[in-house]
Amino acid sequence: MSKRVLIVDDAAFMRMMIKNILTEAGYEIVAEAENGKQAVEKYNEYKPDLTTMDITMPEMDGISAVREIMGSDGSAKIIMCSAMGQQAMVIEAIQAGAKDFIVKPFKADRVLEAVNKVLN
Amino acid sequence: MDMSQYLRMFLDESEEHLQSLNQNLLELENNPNDDQLINNIFRAAHSLKGMAATMGFDKMANLTHEMENVLDKIRSKKMILTTEIVDILFSCLDRLDKLVREISNSSSEASDVEDIILELQNLENGKTVASSAKTSSVSLESEMMEFEEDDRVQILSHLKNNYFCYILNVELFKDCLLKAVRGFMVIKNLQEIGIIIKSIPSLKEIENEEFDHEFQILYVTKESEKEIHSAVMDITDVRSVDIIRIREEDLNQQNGTIEKVHQEIAAIAEKVEKVVNTPQNTGQDIKIAPTVRVDIDKLDSLMNLVAELLINKTRLEEISSRINVNNELFNDILQQLDRVTMNLQHTVMQVRMVPIERIFNRFPRMVRDLSKELNKNVNLIIEGAETELDRSIIDSLGDPLVHLLRNAIDHGIEDPKTRAINGKEEQAILRLAASQKGNEILIQVTDDGRGLDAKKISKKAIEKGILTQEECDKLSKQEKFNLILRPGFSTSEVVSDISGRGVGLDVVRRTVESLDGHIYIDTELGKGSTFNISLPLTLAITQALLVKVCDETYAIPLSVIEEADDITPDRVKHVQGQEVFLLRGNMIPLIWSHKLLGLPVPKLNEVDQLSVVVIGTGKKQIGLIVTELINQQDIVIKSLGEFLIDTPHISGATILGDGEVALILDIRNIA
Repeated sequence: MSKRVLIVDDAAFMRMMIKNILTEAGYEIVAEAENGKQAVEKYNEYKPDLTTMDITMPEMDGISAVREIMGSDGSAKIIMCSAMGQQAMVIEAIQAGAKDFIVKPFKADRVLEAVNKVLN
Repeated sequence: MDMSQYLRMFLDESEEHLQSLNQNLLELENNPNDDQLINNIFRAAHSLKGMAATMGFDKMANLTHEMENVLDKIRSKKMILTTEIVDILFSCLDRLDKLVREISNSSSEASDVEDIILELQNLENGKTVASSAKTSSVSLESEMMEFEEDDRVQILSHLKNNYFCYILNVELFKDCLLKAVRGFMVIKNLQEIGIIIKSIPSLKEIENEEFDHEFQILYVTKESEKEIHSAVMDITDVRSVDIIRIREEDLNQQNGTIEKVHQEIAAIAEKVEKVVNTPQNTGQDIKIAPTVRVDIDKLDSLMNLVAELLINKTRLEEISSRINVNNELFNDILQQLDRVTMNLQHTVMQVRMVPIERIFNRFPRMVRDLSKELNKNVNLIIEGAETELDRSIIDSLGDPLVHLLRNAIDHGIEDPKTRAINGKEEQAILRLAASQKGNEILIQVTDDGRGLDAKKISKKAIEKGILTQEECDKLSKQEKFNLILRPGFSTSEVVSDISGRGVGLDVVRRTVESLDGHIYIDTELGKGSTFNISLPLTLAITQALLVKVCDETYAIPLSVIEEADDITPDRVKHVQGQEVFLLRGNMIPLIWSHKLLGLPVPKLNEVDQLSVVVIGTGKKQIGLIVTELINQQDIVIKSLGEFLIDTPHISGATILGDGEVALILDIRNIA
């Protein structure tokens, strides 16, 4: 069975990018969320194998969302989607339990490399 | 990866971000301490950066990146928001807007961003000293760290407890992104299976990205070299790790200097505390109705299909009346079809409607900049921004409104001193209002400035050779005001780069008229002027009165018709060589549509009745004489296309129920 992924990003454009990359590689996108709060709700609803999480988002940022998700499911696998210059926040997210990160601009092979690594 | 498929979406979303950036920045200028606003601005800039970088638009990405740096400093209170910064940020937004437009036109970025990036960087450096990356002093050839006394003690005690000690030399790939985070991940993995005694550069420096591509770690663990190797190599972007075992005897050969390790520990503790205490921004609850983005072209084709349906429905009705069907069931179905098509048409129209906010939103910013530049004090009041209009009309309305607002600020509104002398408030009021009136939308731009001077205008118009003195004398006051809408007219003594090139208002008028709209001016000398633009709600489908002129069928939009009547020729009177007729005490000039259309004009004494359509535009009424009134029906407006666009007196065409084409009379230019 293909692995189930939840995509979290406030920009529809970014969600679409990741979605296309992952769908082409055979992953199943079970849900998308556009802010941290939604991400936590969708996570609990779908229990995905993997979550990609943007950092700066309205309502609840990605780091708080990671904390909440890790708080309720310690085995959650979350990959942060970060931009250049956000190292402090990515470090914070990894301390909170995120498994890896990818850097915008996304390159398909880098995304897949990170995803495969985290899932195996 | 093929990016073109994302381009449309990228452009749309970029535009939205830019608009919200503009709005929020304006607000921020007034409330510089509103954290929520800064956060919103930061987020929008950040999203733009990510999107642009992904699409490969480097200039946009670089510019937004620099903006983000400055915004971050403001957010963390390391920099104070000044007017200078706001101005630079605004010019960044302008540049971004330009880039977006260039991308939309040619899929590439033409404008340079270097100059503006330099300004941003100067801002940054002016306030904070750039942290110069410390170059690691470790000599890599020796592959040995200098052990300090404290380290030695620590290592020895661990060795006694069956730990192994290693020096790890970790190297990251040169193209590794966010190497600080990679470094941190390496350290985190190592800490899970052992203890890091020290690192060069320090852990803090690694986290702050103050290292090249390598760092060294003094490490004690109970795990094997193999375990360490896989823990480190497991992390993406790690190129290699060299592991050197340290034994007790190695330690004894070393003589280190004493340094306060706890200083380092304290520094780390401080860092951890800072990370823990970083405030989390939880935004307000914003509920957004679920929406679907649809390409406007698809809506256009949907509208066309509805139009086709409408035409066929009309044809069906016509046939049924011609062949006299008296089948109840058939008539029921026809009525049902009528209702459904009407609803369908209504819904499609609704879908195409967008609030005029879309363009109004950009004006506060523009008015701010302009009034600053011209040293005028202007308060812009926007009303009715929620008024909805067809998307295609809205898109073409931006430029004309920009012209009108610029004109108002540049020419209409006086400088504060003059205003004070004339007994006016120093702050001028500029009102931009939209409202719906039946099937029309009225947009008004009102200023409380100088107003128009009919005498000055006519003098100027004659000077410019737009018309002769005689022609001018015949004009009413209202018509004289309208002279400023003619091509080649400009009353301003000084031509500024903002307005006054004498092309603006002419273009405004032409744009409005191409949208089947109408512009007229209300003004009072010394008190201000109002430019009124009335526009149809939608361009595609309208109700019209069908008339016959000679043997041809024409359509007249119902929105301009006040009434239609058959009159006897004896009611036609002559006043100053102009044919008129009296309608309830009002004298209404008559125009023969035959004459306009180049068809034979019948003699007044040869007909026993005249059909007159009374048309009202603005404050003027005229009676249009046609051969015969037919009926009223929905028509689908088709444009005449490029080649015929300038056909006089005709604004479009429509297909009738019987498949015939009827031309639509361009009433506003006739009246």
